Amino acid sequence: MEAKVAVVNGGAGGIGRAVVRRLAGAGYTIFILDRNQQAGREILDQLREQGCQAEYRAIELTNATQIKNAFAEILSATGRIDLLVNLAGGTLHKHPIQEFPISEWREVVDVNLKATFLCCQAVCKPMRERKAGVIINTSSNFGITGGAGRTAYAASKAAVIAFTKSLALEMAPHGVRVNAIAPGLTATARVMSRYDETEWRELGQSIPMGRAAEPSEIAEGVAFLASEEAGYITGHTLHVNGGMVFN
Amino acid sequence: MRRLKNRIALVTGGGQGIGRTIALAMAREGAALVIGDLNETNASAVKKEIEGLGGKASALHADISNEESVQAMVEATLREHGRVDILVNNAGIFPTNPVEEMAEEEWDRVIGTNLVGTFLCSKAVVPQLLAQRCGRIISLTSGRAFQGARNGAHYAASKAGIIGFSKSLALELAPHGITVNVICPGITDTAQPRGHQSEEQIYAQGRRIPLGRIGQPEDLAGPAVFLASDAARFITGQTILANGGGIMW
Repeated sequence: MEAKVAVVNGGAGGIGRAVVRRLAGAGYTIFILDRNQQAGREILDQLREQGCQAEYRAIELTNATQIKNAFAEILSATGRIDLLVNLAGGTLHKHPIQEFPISEWREVVDVNLKATFLCCQAVCKPMRERKAGVIINTSSNFGITGGAGRTAYAASKAAVIAFTKSLALEMAPHGVRVNAIAPGLTATARVMSRYDETEWRELGQSIPMGRAAEPSEIAEGVAFLASEEAGYITGHTLHVNGGMVFN
Repeated sequence: MRRLKNRIALVTGGGQGIGRTIALAMAREGAALVIGDLNETNASAVKKEIEGLGGKASALHADISNEESVQAMVEATLREHGRVDILVNNAGIFPTNPVEEMAEEEWDRVIGTNLVGTFLCSKAVVPQLLAQRCGRIISLTSGRAFQGARNGAHYAASKAGIIGFSKSLALELAPHGITVNVICPGITDTAQPRGHQSEEQIYAQGRRIPLGRIGQPEDLAGPAVFLASDAARFITGQTILANGGGIMW
């Protein structure tokens, strides 16, 4: 049987690397899209050393043309995309609203929401034609609770939930499921670099389960949503956060 | 790789429908099952089915609305296995009546079974889960919890109550590595909706569900096995909607 193809946008990031490893382990051929070329090549080499089928494409996710071209190229090479995981994004900028430059606000929303829209749009037609496919977008606990200084990030992540539900309704008649994963505090290098050791420990202790998520735990949630076990789940947001926020 | 190898799973209402299917799925993943059911004949039949698959199971009569019966079920489980890893609160009832005509007795029976029963079963396993410092409690709610049920106010209230209860218990047990989650089915192809709807009415509802069909018990087994497995160890207090997109919350 031909291997399933997964495109992971943001696949070289802290959570992304765990996700692509987990999906490669499940037998997917992986296409990593990421703007960080060094990290992209590193994870690509690791996957290939382990005998996994993987490719990397450097991409700026706010660039609609680059996204369109990347997906067109992947489709012409493989003829199919079974799974799209939109992981790219992040807080990027954190300011009180009176100091939030509109350019930065827009950048946060573009990376988290618009890139998700563009990547989804690129796979909708081929998935509809094959009457199969799974899309997993990334929300956040902040999409539910909001966060001081995070007006842009929280708005974009709440928007991902509503976008996911809407796309799920559009794609359900075509056999395509669309869900979101919502990580809470996760132990990636990027997130941990924002805190000193004491702050990080206290932050972990503030979570009901007493610690941050490991990226691999987020990856397990993604793998579940991608699997047949979740075959009757669509439009849902799966929170993996140690009890920090409930849906 | 069997994901629930050597786990002990207790499933209430495991004698039929969704409970039976979850029990079978967990057995296939290597768990030993205890099937508790008001109907012992059904429970025994599922026990035999599991044994037929090469799995391990026992069947018990249990009335989850009765504290002594619940205690006896959990004690029997611990006597046999020395531990319990997974509790699936699946048993429930769904009589129908408009509020205006709803007898207090019926109200008490529905809340007493669906909600208080979930509390009693959870309470009964918690000491053992705390001693083990691990465990899973998985309870079944319903889309009615979100959207209400015409002629089923008690049912909707009990199922919404299960969500609030589970979030609270999740907070209490999180420091001990025990997760508490909820699965929300939509209308499912079991005996339950057949009490008050025709075959035609039941299947016709599939047309209104985004994925185009009503749920099968198997649709709930995947999420239940996932939540019970190590893979979901950092997921707690959540309500997983496995309803074909019928309700998005």
